[in-house]
Amino acid sequence: MDRSWYWKAGLIVAVTVAAIYALVPSWTYFRLPPDQRNESGVFEKARPKWAPARHLNLGLDLQGGIHLVMGVEVDRAVREKAVRRAEELAADLDRHSIKGVEVKGDPDTGIVTVTGQGDALAQAKNRFSDDYPDMYIRRTGGTSFELAMKDDAVKQLKESAVDQAVKAIRNRVDKWGVSEPTIAKRGDSAILVQLPGYSNPEKAKELLGKTAQLEFKIVDDEDRSLTQLKDLPPGITLDWDRYEGAGGALVTSPYLRAKDGLELRKFVQGKAPAGKEFGIQKVEERIARESYYRTYLLDKKAGMTGEYITDARVAFDNSPGEGNRPYVQVSFNRTGAELFERLTTANVKKRMAIVLDDSVDSAPIIQGPIPGGVCSIHLGGLKPINEILQEAKDLALVLKSGALPAPVRILEERSVGASLGPELIRRGSLAAVLGLLAVLLFMALYYRFSGVVADVALILNGIVVLAVMALLDSTLTLPGIAGFVLTLGMAVDANVLINERIREEMKQGRSLASAVQTGYDKVFWTIFDGHVTALVAGFVIRAYGSGPVRGFATTLIIGLLASMFTSIVVTRAIVEWFVGHGKLHKAFSV
Amino acid sequence: MQMKYFELIKAGTSHDFVKYRRVAVTISLIVNALILLGAAVWPRLNYGVDFAGGTELQVRFEKPVSAGDVREVVSQAGFGEPTVQEYGNKTDNQFLIRVERIALLTPEAAAKVKQEVAQDLPQAQLTGFHFDPEVGDKLDFTFKKAVDPAALQAAVEKAGVQAKEVRALTSREAQDQEYTVIAQGPGDKIGQLLRDKFGKDSVQVVRTEYVGPQVGKQLRNDGILAVIYAIGMILVYVGFRFDFRFSPGVVIALIHDAIVTLGYFVVTRHEFNLTSVTVILTIVGYSVNDTIVIYDRIRENAKKFKGLPMRDLINRSINEMLGRTILTSGATALSLVGLIVYGVGTIQDFALAMLVGIISGTYSTWYIASPMTIWLEEHLAHRKAIEAAKPKAKPAPKPPQQAAAR
Repeated sequence: MDRSWYWKAGLIVAVTVAAIYALVPSWTYFRLPPDQRNESGVFEKARPKWAPARHLNLGLDLQGGIHLVMGVEVDRAVREKAVRRAEELAADLDRHSIKGVEVKGDPDTGIVTVTGQGDALAQAKNRFSDDYPDMYIRRTGGTSFELAMKDDAVKQLKESAVDQAVKAIRNRVDKWGVSEPTIAKRGDSAILVQLPGYSNPEKAKELLGKTAQLEFKIVDDEDRSLTQLKDLPPGITLDWDRYEGAGGALVTSPYLRAKDGLELRKFVQGKAPAGKEFGIQKVEERIARESYYRTYLLDKKAGMTGEYITDARVAFDNSPGEGNRPYVQVSFNRTGAELFERLTTANVKKRMAIVLDDSVDSAPIIQGPIPGGVCSIHLGGLKPINEILQEAKDLALVLKSGALPAPVRILEERSVGASLGPELIRRGSLAAVLGLLAVLLFMALYYRFSGVVADVALILNGIVVLAVMALLDSTLTLPGIAGFVLTLGMAVDANVLINERIREEMKQGRSLASAVQTGYDKVFWTIFDGHVTALVAGFVIRAYGSGPVRGFATTLIIGLLASMFTSIVVTRAIVEWFVGHGKLHKAFSV
Repeated sequence: MQMKYFELIKAGTSHDFVKYRRVAVTISLIVNALILLGAAVWPRLNYGVDFAGGTELQVRFEKPVSAGDVREVVSQAGFGEPTVQEYGNKTDNQFLIRVERIALLTPEAAAKVKQEVAQDLPQAQLTGFHFDPEVGDKLDFTFKKAVDPAALQAAVEKAGVQAKEVRALTSREAQDQEYTVIAQGPGDKIGQLLRDKFGKDSVQVVRTEYVGPQVGKQLRNDGILAVIYAIGMILVYVGFRFDFRFSPGVVIALIHDAIVTLGYFVVTRHEFNLTSVTVILTIVGYSVNDTIVIYDRIRENAKKFKGLPMRDLINRSINEMLGRTILTSGATALSLVGLIVYGVGTIQDFALAMLVGIISGTYSTWYIASPMTIWLEEHLAHRKAIEAAKPKAKPAPKPPQQAAAR
């Protein structure tokens, strides 16, 4: 027994213990009743405090739920933007008293045509090249020229249209309290939404397809009724906001906060004074990587809605002392500008909540009356610049969601009724266990002692695969099980190869110890080549495949790595221990 | 030392695998050609919604219902000829209903809707109308003035189109008012028809899948790309680790196995979907491993027995590995037994197709991959011989000519 053996044995024990530790939460999760385990907070309560938070998830094909791919009509967003730019250009020419020029945007093609005569047309062209960096002159004629969006502007616009839609959808799903939803961009114009355990596709589609609603509401910081509430339920606490109000006086205002947004929403329902309502904000603490929910007391009537916004973008303040601090610049149309000026004049030094789909996004303080149809929202305080930049980008997105909703439509829908899940699970796991037992029994009967060793390796292989999947937050799907079967086959193959090789070596007259040694050494490259070839294929499939095919590849990759470890390292260490201790003198069988 | 073990294949067995290679390759070529023909021409693969696009419903009835009755009801929906299949055990009363994606609205129907809307809502002034037959279920309207969505829906339905949703798109006041009407899709309509016919509580839609045309195309392209790139990378790796002479054998064997597995879906006419693609990918992985292990032995024996012809080398290697190949294939097949016995629908298909692939993978290693290597070896040797002969053959006739000139 040389030194390296002890290292290997230590490694094996460590891997086994770590794998079992990583599977504890999954064990807890699957012991919860299927109809409750996905409700928010249930699993958190059941999980042992010392165990990791991540657990294995069942794919939608196994537990029921909704899978939607929503297409964002990005082309439409681009066309509308071009038309809006035409309106802006017309207004611009008006302001500079350039007369006799007609600007027309075609909503079907997104091409803007400017028609006019001689000087006026030339002036219009000058104006255009000065102020419209996102468009180019497509064609010039004697009495007109055509404008279109530049490629990179189009690309940016499409991206931001999808980002807006993602933001709006995430906002809504979060409000329903579906646990562990997946909301992700797919390709450059589609969004993937997966709602495990959620079984009403009609309602989901209706809610997700709606365009976003943006409102501005004034925050009531004088009301003290929150402090009268007795017996706050556990998990909800009272806290205070402090900021500098009118005349430099300190304004304090109570609010409630909680980890569980749904619970908080339920609790404050009906508790607001007449004419007021509670708005809930999800606060992300980026450094602590935590989030909580808090309330604002808002005027029920919106001071203004988002329909008057024409644009929102991130700008940088390069006045001295500001060091290029990012802020958000919002532009309103004419009616909006008047409304906004009135609203801000009446509420100086108060807070104004920006509410998207009934969720408060942020609540900046109005520093003074804002005329002119352009408003700057400064964020942050003392946070690092890149964090403020992120927040500014997010806010600009929210504000634009109210301005221009790029319509979404359903491209793909799969919903599996919750009743199908348990049945599949029951039969599927019965089948898998039966198959596994058959293989284990076969190995043990055929190879006797080394068959049992191989069985230990196979079981460890399964545990490691599940543990890694749990740690990676992967989901278990039918195609994933296909990948697992392939891995199992390759792991069996590796063990068969090893044992057959040792038999061969012994037939050629080698001693037991030497046969084991040469057997493993020679078979190493065989196993290595077989596994690496499959791994190469696995990585390629993962990179190019989509949906279920990707799930297959993920399990395959994890499984192959685990199989190499268990068949080459684990079985060898076990067999060497028995050989080294002379326990196998007589009854050894391969 | 006493050794106790079973021996499936007696040591020293020597079956001449190489001898039958021409017969085997011929049979395989014919079988593969038939499968490809079957998949592409007749009876064609039974594509699921993943690839064909369309809507699929899995429906469970409380009482026994005949497939014919279900088909009749679904045909009334007017989405073309539906596919109705029993699903799972007979006692489950489950059916898989699939309608192909067809344009829900014809351009004529759309034109009729436009006319009706313009007529019924004159004060709103319809200025724009857009219908894309590719999309098929969406109508865009532009008005000068705002309209009541309910009135718009009524007008659309008057023209004979069931509207599922009317969406107001424009929220700014000074602009043209835009609305989108989504026509009712096949999934909702079929569910509704079945409930009307068999009673509200006796029908349960267990699962619906809808795949739009663009997505179907993309899923198919992604799948094909993944397989092609994977095969390419395997070619490179095998060439790098072994010898480029070995690569074509591996690749042809795995293509063979993929096609044979596809054959399962052609013969049974069971649905071919994304899960079926993962089965084929599994078989590709399995087949490669199986072939590589044999090649590894050939590589080893080539070092051990220098000068032995490739033919004998291969025969010897395959025979030495016979026990292992049968054991591994057997054990992997054994792991599928549970799925075959207890699996339903997709799972059972999955296991059966995998079984077919495993058998094919074992066969192709013996009779397809190795003969390829021999053939390539012989071909290379032949070319070498020709090339070796060429430089000698060419200058040869020259001297007499030169002699004649002199």
